[in-house]
Amino acid sequence: MAPAPPDPRPLLTMSAITKSFPGVRALDGVDLDVEAGEVHCLLGQNGAGKSTLIKVVAGAHQPDSGEILWKGTPVTLKSPVAAMRLGIATIYQELDLVEGLSVAENVFLGHEMATGGFVRSRAARTATAALLTRLGHPEIDPGRLVGDLSAAGQQIVSMARALSHDVQLIVMDEPSAALDPDEVDNLFRIVGDLTAAGVAVVYISHRLEEIRRIGDRVTVLKDGRAAARGLAARTTPTREIVALMTGRDVEYAFPRRTTAAPIATATPVLRLDNLGRAGEFEPIDLEVAPGEIVGLAGLVGSGRSEILETVYGARRPTSGRVLVDGRPLRTGSVTAAVRAGLGLAPEERKAQALLMLESVTRNVSVSSLTRFSRGGWVDRGAERAAARRCVRDLSLHPDDPERPVRTLSGGNQQKAVLARWLLRGCRVLLLDEPTRGVDVGARAELYAVIRRLADDGMAVLLVSSELPEVLGLADRVLVLREGRVVHTAPARDLDEYSVLDLVVTPLPT
Amino acid sequence: MLNQPGGRPRPAAPAEVPEPTATLTKESLRGTSADRPKTGGRSAHDRLWALADLRNLSLVGVLAVLIAVGGFTKPDEFLSTDNLQLVLTQASVIGVVTVGVTFVITSGGIDLSVGAMVALASVWATTLATQDYGLGGILLCAVLVGLGCGLVNGVLIAYGGMVPFIATLAMLASARGLALQISDGKTQVVTVDQVLDLGLPDSYILGIPPLVMIFAAVTVVGWLVLNRTTFGRRTVAIGGNAEAARLAGIDVKRQRLMLYLLSGLCCGVAAFMLVVLTGSGQNTNGNLYELDAIAAAIIGGTLLSGGRGTITGSVLGVLVFTTITNLFALNNLQSDVQQIAKGAIIVAAVLVQKGRSTP
Amino acid sequence: MRYAKSSSTTSRRNLLMGTAAAGALFAAGCTSNENNDDGDNAEQAANTASDKPGKAVAIGFAGPQADHGWLNAINEQAKRRAKEYKDVTLEATEGSNDTAQQIGQIETLINKKVDVLVILPADGKALTQVGLKAMRAGIPVVNLDRIFASPQAYRCWIGGDNYGMGLNAGRYIGEQLKGKKNAKVIELAGIDNLELTRQRTEGFNDALKNYPNIKKVGRQAAEFTVESGQAKMAQLLQAHSDFDALWNHDDDQGVGAERAIKQAGRDDFLMVGGAGAKRAMDAIKADNSVLKATVLYPPTMAASAIDLARALGQGKGVGGLAELEIPASLTLYSAVVTKDNVDEYLPTGFS
Repeated sequence: MAPAPPDPRPLLTMSAITKSFPGVRALDGVDLDVEAGEVHCLLGQNGAGKSTLIKVVAGAHQPDSGEILWKGTPVTLKSPVAAMRLGIATIYQELDLVEGLSVAENVFLGHEMATGGFVRSRAARTATAALLTRLGHPEIDPGRLVGDLSAAGQQIVSMARALSHDVQLIVMDEPSAALDPDEVDNLFRIVGDLTAAGVAVVYISHRLEEIRRIGDRVTVLKDGRAAARGLAARTTPTREIVALMTGRDVEYAFPRRTTAAPIATATPVLRLDNLGRAGEFEPIDLEVAPGEIVGLAGLVGSGRSEILETVYGARRPTSGRVLVDGRPLRTGSVTAAVRAGLGLAPEERKAQALLMLESVTRNVSVSSLTRFSRGGWVDRGAERAAARRCVRDLSLHPDDPERPVRTLSGGNQQKAVLARWLLRGCRVLLLDEPTRGVDVGARAELYAVIRRLADDGMAVLLVSSELPEVLGLADRVLVLREGRVVHTAPARDLDEYSVLDLVVTPLPT
Repeated sequence: MLNQPGGRPRPAAPAEVPEPTATLTKESLRGTSADRPKTGGRSAHDRLWALADLRNLSLVGVLAVLIAVGGFTKPDEFLSTDNLQLVLTQASVIGVVTVGVTFVITSGGIDLSVGAMVALASVWATTLATQDYGLGGILLCAVLVGLGCGLVNGVLIAYGGMVPFIATLAMLASARGLALQISDGKTQVVTVDQVLDLGLPDSYILGIPPLVMIFAAVTVVGWLVLNRTTFGRRTVAIGGNAEAARLAGIDVKRQRLMLYLLSGLCCGVAAFMLVVLTGSGQNTNGNLYELDAIAAAIIGGTLLSGGRGTITGSVLGVLVFTTITNLFALNNLQSDVQQIAKGAIIVAAVLVQKGRSTP
Repeated sequence: MRYAKSSSTTSRRNLLMGTAAAGALFAAGCTSNENNDDGDNAEQAANTASDKPGKAVAIGFAGPQADHGWLNAINEQAKRRAKEYKDVTLEATEGSNDTAQQIGQIETLINKKVDVLVILPADGKALTQVGLKAMRAGIPVVNLDRIFASPQAYRCWIGGDNYGMGLNAGRYIGEQLKGKKNAKVIELAGIDNLELTRQRTEGFNDALKNYPNIKKVGRQAAEFTVESGQAKMAQLLQAHSDFDALWNHDDDQGVGAERAIKQAGRDDFLMVGGAGAKRAMDAIKADNSVLKATVLYPPTMAASAIDLARALGQGKGVGGLAELEIPASLTLYSAVVTKDNVDEYLPTGFS
């Protein structure tokens, strides 16, 4: 047989894919084609159908109708194993690793290197070490428990697992979300290596700048359909992409302060007095006035989230104290913090904030139950009415507070969390990555909501990995590096470049 | 937009509202009567309820089938007031235990010690020394022993950080051991007439046995507490997501402690009921109650993983099991067949629910 | 009453004849092998075991957890009996229902080199190996009630007669209902997974076959507990609005059964119990309830087992029989206790 000429047919062609769930048409005739060796970016708001589409590709969901061609041949991806056999690997946003198994065991989970039922663990470790080296992380010990690794490390393991198969298409669902800039660079290097070897990558991200850097073509999903296909990733103007995603022109705009009250003269509502936690962040003094948004900028691991959680009582400080309205809080008690008027919108919304089985109302009212109760008896009418009002005030969509919160998009789930603290009447709002997993259109709305809450008198402490967000939203910014505040300045005196410089420049010794 | 005009304060609004911040006016927080959701807005809520009812409905269906079978095979014996009294009486002791267990499971916990707590409380409450204090002494003793065991469970789990499975397993072993030690393996016959009379037909009011009345009261109170009080909400919240509940300001540890106390209280009450029913206390009492109660709660629709619980379902589950036992005994079927049927019904009920809950 | 362990000595003459204490079902006496050296059988009677102290014997006793009236009585009978003999040291283990734990306990006793073992196994089959081990180590085993799988695992088995219990209960009921046309009988059995429950039911059924006028119309199995006795009896009473006699396998669950009968307000039948609890005997004597008789499964067998063990340890046989050796097995008679003979049995009733 003569050697086969380069296959002119696309690696993967999906046409008119539909998939419905009870009450939702998640995919409404999506088309997608992926060429070998390209980075194909998938963009779309939350709820546009990205997750469903990649689950169809991964064999985790069966489409209701439509056709899937693999190298021109019709196939049914009836299970994740079937997809894996064809050479399709998926790296999910929520990492699906077994924390109690070692790195090597995770990498070869489901296709263990074995002889007669006995796992050849030495061979598996060697092979894993080779994969990790290829991924630029030879320092990860294949024998280590995955649960002991950082989020970034786990991501690498996830990728190694994908590469342990003879893979031709890798789907990556927001792989950069949990990564530091260094790690992101490494990720892009790996993506480059893969595509050079002819492997196709389907890349999902909310970060347009990433797509500009590594993408070849872009497919934009909206409302379960492809709004645009095959756009040039590097040259298509941002405006056009955002417009395709949202159906309207959205400025990546930050609202300005509307109240003119001078913050400097206001009595601080929140005061951190020499608050520190050994090994995580050095003692810090900070005052936040009502109406002020203070941003904490820094890399993952710089102590940003730890500061928030210590202020909130979820971690016990090793020095100092937290004062609200001049009164010190009992340390290490979330209940005391909430009682004193603190509220936290944590980083992991689903795991740390939301009661996924419950309605929006119950998620909103959970911190204010005593307000609607007498003698422990909940007045459900009053509860619903108040929750409804908060939901409306924050323009939560859909406007039905009795909906299960799990059916909401990320942005609206975040609004439900904010509504909880709005209803509670909290005085200090702690925000940890408030827009993680929230699409561009919804972000602007969230920014407006946060600004408004501050304007109405809340003190806000904001942590975000996205510098534009911190700079655009905050009045004052603390730049953190390795657990130390290295710079404090009004946000208007800073720009992205200067902050990034502070964050990455080695500390003077 | 945030400072919407509030309208007049709703009269029924709680008198004491914590001072809200400048964010919202009090009025806007409380809402007005005009804010009360109308039928349209409640549709989703109604759907949720319909789903919950549907799950119960499948058990009601099972119950209806059982009653039909009973009426067909043994019309005279089965469809009689006597038998209704009998079935409800037999359901009442385990029913009260199941209500407590339902709370614990809803909170994401488990209580394996209920049967042992019933045994210990029934034995302690029927020692000669306790019997000297009469009806009140026996009741008080049973309740206090239940609460005491619940307290130990709760403290170990909530503040000692023990896994509920292990902590209550330890309680199972030690409470049974203590019950054996106190009773010395002997059946302690009750001689207090007031207690004995409570279990006899003369004490039935309008044909309702006092034990059934206690069961009904516990059920109603349990339903109200789970569905209408802050305690119930917090229970569901920590079962659904303990970390989120903690970060939302709920005192998760205290709540856990209260839940195991509640389970202990139910066991204490159940132990008293069992003493009334059998006229005695024995260390073998409450044998395998933990499994029966968990099974009834689960087929009723309470999630073993927590976050969703239904008292109605649990009580229906208990009634289904009791009716099966009754039906089989009336038809002179032996325990082997009864056990097989019980297993089959657990599997069937859970499968039906699974079919409903997955899209 | 701590005695030093003693090795087997050979000569055991001059032992006085004794009678068994009340409650023991047979007279304990003995002849030793060595006695035969005399060739004088007439002396045999004079060489039986007696209450008078003889050679010191260390008896190891391992029973199941006493979580039930009857088992509790077993432990008490054994301990009380051992106390009566100045020459007996009883090494009783903590009762256990766990097979592995009981095996461990027995092995400890073997290592301690007790002279004789009395074992009431939690599970006869599962403990056969450890019985064999003891016998091989030269320690005679008295197997109490729950029988080992191999006769090699014990020197002597003594136990109740479950089949006979059912048989005698059936006979008693049959005689009471003689001449009554279409008489109906129901049975409240014990735990159905136990072989003894099946044997009791079998004996009961076989006895009833002799009385064509009687039909067994209902049977439910309880769990030897008061609670289950009440529950199952209540169901039986509901199912059968009219019957003439009831046999309840176990007096402990009978507490619950009688409670259910009282709750149902029924007194139109006669009830026969099982095992022989003191409470049941008191009720039979008072004759003011439906309970008219109970069939014994005597816990005194534990006392007898101690007698046997002591005789084995002292190298003697049983008095009152022509045999030179202690029998390999002793099946006890399940007497029917009624108002007429209850005074005789009351001292053996357990609570």
